[in-house]
Amino acid sequence: MASSTRRTDILSLIHIRSDGRRPHEIRHMSCHLGALPSTACGSALPTSACSGSALVSMGLTQVLCVVRGPCDIGRRSDELPDRATLDVSMRTTPFSSPGDRRNVNPSTDRRLIEQSHLLQKVLSASILLHLYPKSKISVTVMVLADDGGRLEAAINAATLALMDAGIPLKDMVCACSAGRWNAGGSDDIVVDLNRREIQTATGMGGGGGGTSDTIYLPVATMPQRGTIVLSQCESRLSGDADAFAQVLEAAMVGCQMVMDVMAAAVRERGMGLWKAKEGKANVMLNDW
Amino acid sequence: MVSPAEAHYIIESCFSDFRIDGRSRLEHRPYTVSNRKVGASAPSPSAVVGASSPSSLILSNGSSRIHLPGSSTDILCSVKADLVHPSPCKPREGIVELNVDLSLCGSGVGGGMLDGGSSSSSTQQRMNNNTSSSRRKEREAESQITSLLQRLILPHAVNYTQLAILPGRYVWRLSIDIVVLRCDGCILDACSLALREGLYNTKLPCVKSAVMEGGMPDVEGEGFGGNNSGDGSNNKNDLIVDGDIKNAMPPPGVENCPLVVTVSVLSAFVPPPPSSTSDNTASSSSSQQRRHQTQRRHYISIIDARTEEEVCASSHVCVSIDPCGLVCGVHTLGGSGGGGVGDSFTADSQEEGVAADNLNDEIMGVSSSSSMPLAMLGDVVASAAMASKNLYSLLNDAGERNVNRTKANNIVPTVGNDDGNGYGYLLKDHFLIQ
Repeated sequence: MASSTRRTDILSLIHIRSDGRRPHEIRHMSCHLGALPSTACGSALPTSACSGSALVSMGLTQVLCVVRGPCDIGRRSDELPDRATLDVSMRTTPFSSPGDRRNVNPSTDRRLIEQSHLLQKVLSASILLHLYPKSKISVTVMVLADDGGRLEAAINAATLALMDAGIPLKDMVCACSAGRWNAGGSDDIVVDLNRREIQTATGMGGGGGGTSDTIYLPVATMPQRGTIVLSQCESRLSGDADAFAQVLEAAMVGCQMVMDVMAAAVRERGMGLWKAKEGKANVMLNDW
Repeated sequence: MVSPAEAHYIIESCFSDFRIDGRSRLEHRPYTVSNRKVGASAPSPSAVVGASSPSSLILSNGSSRIHLPGSSTDILCSVKADLVHPSPCKPREGIVELNVDLSLCGSGVGGGMLDGGSSSSSTQQRMNNNTSSSRRKEREAESQITSLLQRLILPHAVNYTQLAILPGRYVWRLSIDIVVLRCDGCILDACSLALREGLYNTKLPCVKSAVMEGGMPDVEGEGFGGNNSGDGSNNKNDLIVDGDIKNAMPPPGVENCPLVVTVSVLSAFVPPPPSSTSDNTASSSSSQQRRHQTQRRHYISIIDARTEEEVCASSHVCVSIDPCGLVCGVHTLGGSGGGGVGDSFTADSQEEGVAADNLNDEIMGVSSSSSMPLAMLGDVVASAAMASKNLYSLLNDAGERNVNRTKANNIVPTVGNDDGNGYGYLLKDHFLIQ
């Protein structure tokens, strides 16, 4: 039975999504390493010491991550004798949500706390913490604009910022989301959902959707090793394990695409630094 | 934070018109304003290709970023607009709200200006961002900056009566958020610059009332027809919003938004010229007394102090000046007492063989007052006015260049204050390798 497609459908009849992408395409992603230039330790402002930073934007979602460390912990009681302490905090700005501005207190918003914890687990799986006993690495993520997928963008930004800071990692952690939408009998798997698609898939938008066949799955992997670091599914699967496997597969492909973009950004930054070392740098007053 | 020797060096350098980074007393640092591409209030599918670095805050109506080349200052400002019912005591005026966020840079910012007094013990606490006392200091600093900006700038920032669309029913509410990523001295200056540029960049869609006189409604606005004449209380859709971005206008009156210039006042004893008598023996004590009495306190004002200079200053005066040169507000902040000044001058006096304690008491007694002579106030405001004139001309040049480049290239230009004279020798430490 043919039903006319509505504007809120994720895929139109010709398999184009609401923002013009194909189902397996990720959003336009740009990474900028060293968005806040790193300061030396002897500056007059010790708290603004920044070892590395990165600004990642996936589509309209924009996330800035600042890494400080490894540095000394103030209190001896917080030290771990065999490894570094990883301190992760995620906060949003009041202007990050589309529509009205709202103030979110980072210490009481449960979603943010949960995502900070997840980010900490993800990064602990990748940083070689045992190389810096009794010190602290602190990662601060600030979400400047949120159009869906802020956890994934935060993971990508944190990885790039750690690389910019020169902290040794086992592998780059890349994150991407995937989902499945069941429309008119055919299963459509989409990669890198934006806010409207997430709302339709999880039924939070206060409209249709949220049927038992929709899946929304953010995934973080270490693509070069082929291991999955994080996968978070809050949808109800109607007893269809194959569907989950398909969506996971699509998400891993998406992570590989994200990895390509991130690796290109790292190489470009490295090339710039190398040229500067040889004395052939392009010097610009403005950055970003 | 700053040792007495360093403080002495900084003060001497200011007195001799050659500051530690090479500027003269009345020179600003080369702030860079990135005038961004502005998006409408609803997110649109992104079709930006080719620009390697992301440009604007797309989900806001206006945004700006103030940046100092090098690693010192970085401030983001975002302006979001929506339509609300006005407040009952001011039904014909729009609303502007301001919020400053210092959480990324901890409580280290504004150390010289804002929390005068509690300096040494907070170094330990600053490293651990989660202690409640550091957060409390942060909140105090935030609220102090917010209230200063509200008093000095907001009353003159926009034309409030023109922000009202239907007086009494619908007005624009501009919510301004300033996020300080890093700041190296003069946080008020930089925040006011960010605020002005953010407002300048804001584009508000053109909103008209849907009801004409005579009771005949205009054509439907948002797909809603049959709207009868309106002193109606239940008509929600009686506004037409023009979605064309070419018709979007900045908030009315924003060209007159003032800027804050912070003038820091440093004080020092100027030692008297050496006397011609060479014998220190017989009349030593009396001549030394005379020399002490002729030591006077001299004050000097500098513009756009760095953190190190702020800490040595005895007081700060924040002057808010609008583009016509009119002063919109003056606020004086006490300094940190200038204790370092006292210590640094004991060395001088010891050459004359006076007991250090006596002299110390005398100096400490005078320098612990963080005020400045009244006659200085006129001088301070005058130098602030001159400095602000320079700032405005730089901004206007930058704005014109921006306009020309947009027409030429059809891409997003970034704008820098590359005013060649005077900044060239500064910039060698501020380059970024790209």
